[in-house]
Amino acid sequence: MNRREMLCKSGFGFGAIAAADLLAQDGQLAAATEFNPLAPQTPDFAAKAKRVIFIFLQGGPSHIETFDPKPALQKWDGELLPESFREFDLAQTNTADGRLLGPLFPYHRHGESGLEISTLFPRIGQHADEMAVIRSCYHESFIHGAAVTIMSSGTILLGHPTVGAWVTYGLGSESDRLPAYVAMTDAAFTNGVACISSGFLPAIYQGTHLRTTGAPIMNLTPLKELGQDRQRQLLNQINQWNTRHRDARPHDSRLDARIANYELAFRMQTAAPDLIDLGSESQTTRNLYGLDGEETKQFGGMCLLARRMAERGVRYIHLASSGWDAHGECRKNHLENAKKIDQPIAGLLTDLKQRGLLEETLVVWAGEFGRTPIMQGKRGRDHHPYGFSCWMAGGGIRGGKVIGATDEFGFHAVEDRVHANDLHATMLSLLGLEHEKLTYLFEGRERRLTDVGGSNDLAQRLLS
Amino acid sequence: MLKITWVLFLAVIGLGHANLIRSATANDDYWSFQKPVRHPAPEAGQLQHGARIVNAVDAFLLQALEKHGLAPAPAADKHTLVRRAYLDLIGLLPSPEQVEAFVTNPSADAWPRLINELLDSKHYGERWGRHWLDVARYADSGGYETDIYLRNAWRYRDYVVKSFNDDKPYDQFVQEQIAGDELWPDNLDLDPKRVYHITADQKKHLEARIGTGLYTLGPLIHESRLDARRLHYETLTDWADTTGSVFLGLSFGCARCHDHKFDPLTQTDYFAMQAIFASSKEVEIPLMTAMEIGDTRQAYPKIVAIDEARKRYRLYEQQTAGKTLSSEEQTHKEKLLIDIAQKVLALPAGAASVPGTRYDGLMEIPTVSVLGHEQPALLKTVHRLERGELYGMKEQIQAALPGALAQATDSEVDLPKPYGSRKALALWLTEPDHPLTSRVMVNRIWQWHFGRGLVATPNDFGAMGQEPTHPELLDWLATEFIERGWSIKDMHRLIMTSSSYQMSSQHISEKAVQADPENYLLWRMPRRRLEAEALWDAVHTAAGTINLKMGGRPVVPPLAEDEIASLRDTFRWPVSADPQEHTRRGLYILVLRNFRFPMFSVFDAPVSSVSCPTRDVTTVAPQALWSLNNRSVFSQAQAFASRVRKEAGTEAHDWIDRAWMIAFARHPTDRETREALSLMDTLSQTDTAAPVDALAQLCLSLFNLNEFAFTD
Repeated sequence: MNRREMLCKSGFGFGAIAAADLLAQDGQLAAATEFNPLAPQTPDFAAKAKRVIFIFLQGGPSHIETFDPKPALQKWDGELLPESFREFDLAQTNTADGRLLGPLFPYHRHGESGLEISTLFPRIGQHADEMAVIRSCYHESFIHGAAVTIMSSGTILLGHPTVGAWVTYGLGSESDRLPAYVAMTDAAFTNGVACISSGFLPAIYQGTHLRTTGAPIMNLTPLKELGQDRQRQLLNQINQWNTRHRDARPHDSRLDARIANYELAFRMQTAAPDLIDLGSESQTTRNLYGLDGEETKQFGGMCLLARRMAERGVRYIHLASSGWDAHGECRKNHLENAKKIDQPIAGLLTDLKQRGLLEETLVVWAGEFGRTPIMQGKRGRDHHPYGFSCWMAGGGIRGGKVIGATDEFGFHAVEDRVHANDLHATMLSLLGLEHEKLTYLFEGRERRLTDVGGSNDLAQRLLS
Repeated sequence: MLKITWVLFLAVIGLGHANLIRSATANDDYWSFQKPVRHPAPEAGQLQHGARIVNAVDAFLLQALEKHGLAPAPAADKHTLVRRAYLDLIGLLPSPEQVEAFVTNPSADAWPRLINELLDSKHYGERWGRHWLDVARYADSGGYETDIYLRNAWRYRDYVVKSFNDDKPYDQFVQEQIAGDELWPDNLDLDPKRVYHITADQKKHLEARIGTGLYTLGPLIHESRLDARRLHYETLTDWADTTGSVFLGLSFGCARCHDHKFDPLTQTDYFAMQAIFASSKEVEIPLMTAMEIGDTRQAYPKIVAIDEARKRYRLYEQQTAGKTLSSEEQTHKEKLLIDIAQKVLALPAGAASVPGTRYDGLMEIPTVSVLGHEQPALLKTVHRLERGELYGMKEQIQAALPGALAQATDSEVDLPKPYGSRKALALWLTEPDHPLTSRVMVNRIWQWHFGRGLVATPNDFGAMGQEPTHPELLDWLATEFIERGWSIKDMHRLIMTSSSYQMSSQHISEKAVQADPENYLLWRMPRRRLEAEALWDAVHTAAGTINLKMGGRPVVPPLAEDEIASLRDTFRWPVSADPQEHTRRGLYILVLRNFRFPMFSVFDAPVSSVSCPTRDVTTVAPQALWSLNNRSVFSQAQAFASRVRKEAGTEAHDWIDRAWMIAFARHPTDRETREALSLMDTLSQTDTAAPVDALAQLCLSLFNLNEFAFTD
């Protein structure tokens, strides 16, 4: 059992958080940290990245239309898939009589590196020299639910912790007043809250959903009948009673998490209004994220909040963009969706950089899978987990590079194949965590994010 | 697509960790496709803890525990038990008197008597009906872009509550929902234009028919220029998938696009299921007799008068547009406006000939949405669709039972056509030896008692679901259920009188924690957090404000500004005028698919797009913010304080005792009393300029305790 785990499972557990808080108030911070499972932890080795902004494209954007140019596919447009591929089992598209569909968007070279990015993302393209594109991602699940689960928790089994939960478990929180793991979506999360779940890790590591319309967090203002002073007194008593209740009920992390959440909630009352008040942002910044554009304002708002959270020490920020499931009319679908996110994401990268945050913030862009080279429906594409693209920027990564490749059709990842487990191992590595050491004993086995797989070989290539 | 893939997803994941993913081979002899086999319960003499056996439930559970070298937890104390029973069966906190009556009753049958009393309570149906509504994907609106208001959905909700309260045999409950109209057809001709007299029997049959409302409250696509064929197809998809998930415990949806990868369900089976429903359509039937409808028509000129008054106002508006009105003109305009209001008020609220009937809204005849038959000339055929794509039409498919399952029950696969196939499906599902129906339902009942089913994937008894932790117990319960006439209440009695159900949840055994940290083997009673609605009810019960009126149109409590902010069209949240309605049970609060009641959303109420077999239980800071800062919670704390003052006299000691009994069904310890007194003292002294009702604050703190939100 490692230190982190011991902290979680010790008799003190989180029940001691209230006590820890009192200690903290007395200036005995070190003692408080001893007890607090969310206290910042030292990584296994020095790393530049301290936090993650994971931009998740729900539905599965086509790699062929975004970051993996396939000029050869154009020549095959309308042809049958070559014999050698036909045996392949796809979810819905019949490979035997499927016709290939050529790329729907041209590519441009960007930056000094000449990285090729499709015309869907002209503004993101301006950051080409900061981006490392991985064109050889793959996993085994061709349906949304399971694919989202594998991309977010490394296995298709539900009930496992998501990357954000593992990272928070591994590194703790840098903020005592905002949740360590926050998620936002422009529509609904595929799989609901399972995609930000703490699984079998203690419930304290669960992601907190911030709404993107209306008030991101409700009930933030203390009752005027109490005011902060009385509320503090009330909370001290609540904590004392909850702690005693918990002590008589060991091995129930929900009770611990609730106790911790009361302390967090107390501090969020002042921290969260400050977080979501965009009044101090200049018009230049607003323009950068497209806050005033009809199409870009929602995702732009999410990206700007992500930057503000990064500044305030939130460890893991999950942003979901929805609607990429282009079974029919892939062109129209991707055009509409890309418009919503191109400027906001580019703005986020620019802004993080100009504030010196990009070096320590790992930005990851990925969907749950790519899309088939074969046409489906009316010039659409089906789900495709056998070879697809993602990209990373920041966190010490040297950009302007491409890692891995798919075959000439964009069917299989053929070079430097990167499984979802490898991607996760790499992310952990960039954060200074050794994926084989970040474990939690559950049901008799030391569990980890990468299960029995995963390799972090990629990290060195990304950094050099 | 989202809907389908979710179902598909459920098929491919397991909820636990111990299970292995099976290979993608169709497996005709999979356990859940075989008839349940009833093994005799282990004998007490064979078990180390045989003395703990009250009934077979204990025997099977103990056998599994002992096999792993584990022992059951000791019994919980009576205070814990009474709170557990109340919250579990009726979802309401017991009053201090009810607690005392139970804990001071020394009789051996105090516990079974309590269970019977609670089962007789009409609030039982509200609690257990809500569980069923999760499975039935219940909502009052259609979702998607326009979130159409489904004005009759609540009649299905009330039907469910009544069915549970009546202990309607489950086979009948299934039959009514799938084919109430075809099985009891003598009111198929309910037609507002005909004069008819409705007999008591027919009224029952009408109730049966309301069960088919299940099929009328699904997600509803409504977009401009929506392809009619697509709409029909999406509807059939919802109907087939819902039937599979709810009654068969099988995720049928996968087979829409391809043969099921893991279960022996073919694409043909899937479209055959759609074909069963293809000759049906949603119809609205009036819930009034011809006489009452006559009353309505008689008063119809009053509706016309409103329309004319409105026109008059509009005309005047047009005439005077852009002009500054003189005071006389202004008065005239106001008079026109008042005239509309008066004409609205002049409408009758119900039919004159039958006292007590009530019109919906503006004198609208009350109706119910149910399934009926499509006219022969308009019947549509169902085809197998390549990849589930609407335009990938292949061979025509006839209504039929899923092949592999029909084989398991020795049933004829083909079903009557074009009508009557739902009836045949319902009768087949409720055959006593059907391998799935009773297993699926007893598993749900088990899950709603213990927090997890014996099969942890209650909507997936297929090869990708989890295997039962106690297969012999599951089969024993499934057969017992049928032997007891499919009585759900009998299953409650059986489960709750077991010594297993009465175990303590606080028990700790290092050995058990190591061997079974997730408590799959039930070595102690699982602790459960109250679901959103139950927490809402608990707050209002403690406060004494809960309005226990049953049934009727959904109620709409007011929302704070930050709560309503995410709703674009606030007209979708028409706040109930009568404040009494704001404190109804959570079950009755409007369920919009696009805008969940914010408190419910924070506490994990389901998204009702597809059948939800198991709710998430998240623990996040916004939940703490709700019970600390929400204004409606605070006003309930104030009401709680007033109640305590009223019931417990003038001594602060007594207040505290009363408050503890109300909230936790136990007396406070001396230490807690001292702490509570001291808290009230501190709060009063903190800021003497702004005096505070310290008792109300204390009550607020009780709402925030884990002991309040969990049942041990």
